[in-house]
Amino acid sequence: MIRAAAAVAAMAALFAFPEWASGIEGSRYAETIVRDMLVFAVYALSLDLLIGRAGMPSLGHAAFFGSGAYAAAIASSRFGTDELAVSLVAAIVVASILATAIGLLSVRASGIFFLMLTLAFAQMAFAVAFQWNDVTGGSNGFSGVRRPTLAGMDLSAPDTYYRTVVVAFALVVALVWWIARSHYGRALAGVRENERRMRALGYDTARIKLSVFVLAGALAAVAGALSAWSFRFVATSDVGLGRSVEGFVMVLIGGAGSILGPIIGAAAVLYIDRVLSSAVPYSQTVLGVVFIVFVLAARQGIVGLARAAAVRVRR
Amino acid sequence: MSPDLIVQQALNGISFGALLFILAAGLSLIFGMMDVVNLAHGAFYMLGAYVTLQVVRSTGEFWPALIVAPVALGLLGLALEPTLLRRLRGRHLDQVLLTIGVGLVIVDLIGLFWGREIRTLPLPPGLDRSIDIAGNAYPTYRLFVIVFAVALAAILTYVHRRTAVGALIRAGVDDAEMLSALGVDTDRLFAVTFAVGAGLAGLAGVIAAPAFALSPGMDVDALIYSLIVVVVGGLGTLGGAAVGAWLVGPADTFGKVLFPQFALALIFAIMAVVLLARPSGLFGRARIGR
Amino acid sequence: MTEAVLEVRELRREFGGIHALDGVTLAVRGGERLAVIGPNGAGKTTFFNVLTGEIPPTAGTVVLEGRDVTGMSAPRRARHGLARMYQKSELFDGLAARENVALALVAGRGPYRLGTAGTAAERAEADRLLERVGLAGQGLRRARALSHGERRQLELALALARRPRVLLLDEPTAGMSPAETQLITSLVAELDRSLTILIVEHDMDVVFRLADRIAVLHEGRVIADGTPVQIRGDHVVNDVYLGRVVGA
Repeated sequence: MIRAAAAVAAMAALFAFPEWASGIEGSRYAETIVRDMLVFAVYALSLDLLIGRAGMPSLGHAAFFGSGAYAAAIASSRFGTDELAVSLVAAIVVASILATAIGLLSVRASGIFFLMLTLAFAQMAFAVAFQWNDVTGGSNGFSGVRRPTLAGMDLSAPDTYYRTVVVAFALVVALVWWIARSHYGRALAGVRENERRMRALGYDTARIKLSVFVLAGALAAVAGALSAWSFRFVATSDVGLGRSVEGFVMVLIGGAGSILGPIIGAAAVLYIDRVLSSAVPYSQTVLGVVFIVFVLAARQGIVGLARAAAVRVRR
Repeated sequence: MSPDLIVQQALNGISFGALLFILAAGLSLIFGMMDVVNLAHGAFYMLGAYVTLQVVRSTGEFWPALIVAPVALGLLGLALEPTLLRRLRGRHLDQVLLTIGVGLVIVDLIGLFWGREIRTLPLPPGLDRSIDIAGNAYPTYRLFVIVFAVALAAILTYVHRRTAVGALIRAGVDDAEMLSALGVDTDRLFAVTFAVGAGLAGLAGVIAAPAFALSPGMDVDALIYSLIVVVVGGLGTLGGAAVGAWLVGPADTFGKVLFPQFALALIFAIMAVVLLARPSGLFGRARIGR
Repeated sequence: MTEAVLEVRELRREFGGIHALDGVTLAVRGGERLAVIGPNGAGKTTFFNVLTGEIPPTAGTVVLEGRDVTGMSAPRRARHGLARMYQKSELFDGLAARENVALALVAGRGPYRLGTAGTAAERAEADRLLERVGLAGQGLRRARALSHGERRQLELALALARRPRVLLLDEPTAGMSPAETQLITSLVAELDRSLTILIVEHDMDVVFRLADRIAVLHEGRVIADGTPVQIRGDHVVNDVYLGRVVGA
């Protein structure tokens, strides 16, 4: 109950950020950073459904982030409407279809082979985005993406759009939290902990894995759409290996299998990528080193470290 | 397609395949021995190319790089394996993740040290002309690449089959646990294997440097191609790397000529199909661990 | 009255030239306790793997309650009332004992439910099952923190949770102390006769205490099949197996 209250309070604070931060210098910039952190938090949460909850390490998640971004961008220009629902549904549908196709082919593999399959398929998607100039803009990317309207209300102003992102983020967090506590979430944990035993108990694990793969893809597409609207641009890098790796780094550093973990991880990676990179030229090195340190010494991420510390304090 | 074009593209394909073989051999070796997919392989390759750039700048000569780069990369591999990878012995997925981090660091440091602009290297003097093949002028450097790869394959095969070190490596690829039980220092063997794998990647970088441009994204391209080759040809064996390289090389070359729009997607599709049908590749060792 | 609940006919399974199962034909009657014994490498675990559907046979059929399940996947067979206790416990190590059991208990209702897991009713049912296998009060302990014997108890609980019709016990007392062995053996002995049980075991005391019938497997074939008394007196069996074990 305390956690739920804290979460609601945090969401409210985020939502009201433009108000209480308006006097502070650099708040406009900060708002952009927070906005992008929230978008990537959605991405990381979606990937964590796979990595942390279902135990399916994917290096191809950018395929869904990117296809969602492209679909949202292209939909508004093709259908001639900026209505939020249209672009968002387009993003989710396209990514879900792609995830179903890739999932059907990949989910029977596990561990490193699953990793390589998802990588291969995502690179195919990247290749398509890169070369399908007419539709995606090819290597130049898709520019001029229009921010959505909601039932006529224009969401493009910075503060308004920021609040839209906060609401989307809050909804995704609520969804992930709900899944985690549900029978479905526990079944995912079962698949992660011991797929063989799950099958011996009568669970159709291949179908469960496919379902979470598509769900994660759909949520990644939501993040992709948000990203397209945020930057008003979709780049091929949004579908590339770097974006997939980035997601993995976020989940691992923050702490897989939790709600706070991917959020913290996204914030940390984004801080390094945006804020640190403008101050020093070696931000990617920092990111790499941090990642290595976590893989070696803090595999459960920041959340894991916090939990271990809490246990020690209690003693 | 005219016969001239076919010959030319065939040579291009074989030449590209030659480069892919040198590149993928190291990746295949590391996986075969240690069950680790070294995702820093592209970064090693890239470093090899940039070291070549440095050698050319400092000495004005290309040829020393053929020694300097592999040795430098080998030393790097020798330093990395015991300090980082060994701590994660048995945790294959985590080792793969670790190599991702290593790759990130290397690529960024390259950019810091040599800058992020696209650079080109001149062809080494002596190989910078073309000779007449089937009525067309064909660059001698590409022929050199083919010859070099074949020679390297021969040397590697000899070492692999006829020397004590090669025997150890063959045994290790087969069953490292057993080797350890027999008293072989597998720690040192793994370190050496990783170093050799890194060195081969660096060597590929040297060879590729005059033929391709040096740019920030080259590590990803190299990694993807070497993964495809290794998956198709067979994880863990030199022969597999050769088969894969000389399948993917020509396929990619002809694909780009015949249907440029989807050539890349086609290559990935081939990889995915092979992975699905035969997870250890066409000629690989079936060692599918977690 | 005693129809064959489980039947295998000419079951074969090959692994690259090795005939792990070389024509096994066996019928198990309803309520029977059949022990499958044999030296290491005789094919016992492969037999179980083919029965549960984790490995397909190279030839032959598996019939469960009159239904040909040879081509059926492992999950489907489990849903048709087949349960298994593995030789090496297959538990959800990172989850609490209670959650382990809960996953087994609710398996029948399917995983695609968004209702909250872990209700009070569910917890009570899980605790009852834990108590039944001798793990009363251990519900909150993580599976990996349990002792070897406790893990086997939990493994048995998972096998029993779905009220199976046919229970396969693969070396249930493997690696256990005499006291733990006693506990598990008593638990199995008390199981209702509506349940048909196949047991693979090396511990002959357990076998002779629990089994109505014994089938002896050797090099992938059934070389003897009869009551414990018959098997004890069988010369072939003594040569091949019992003699070596008992040290006659």
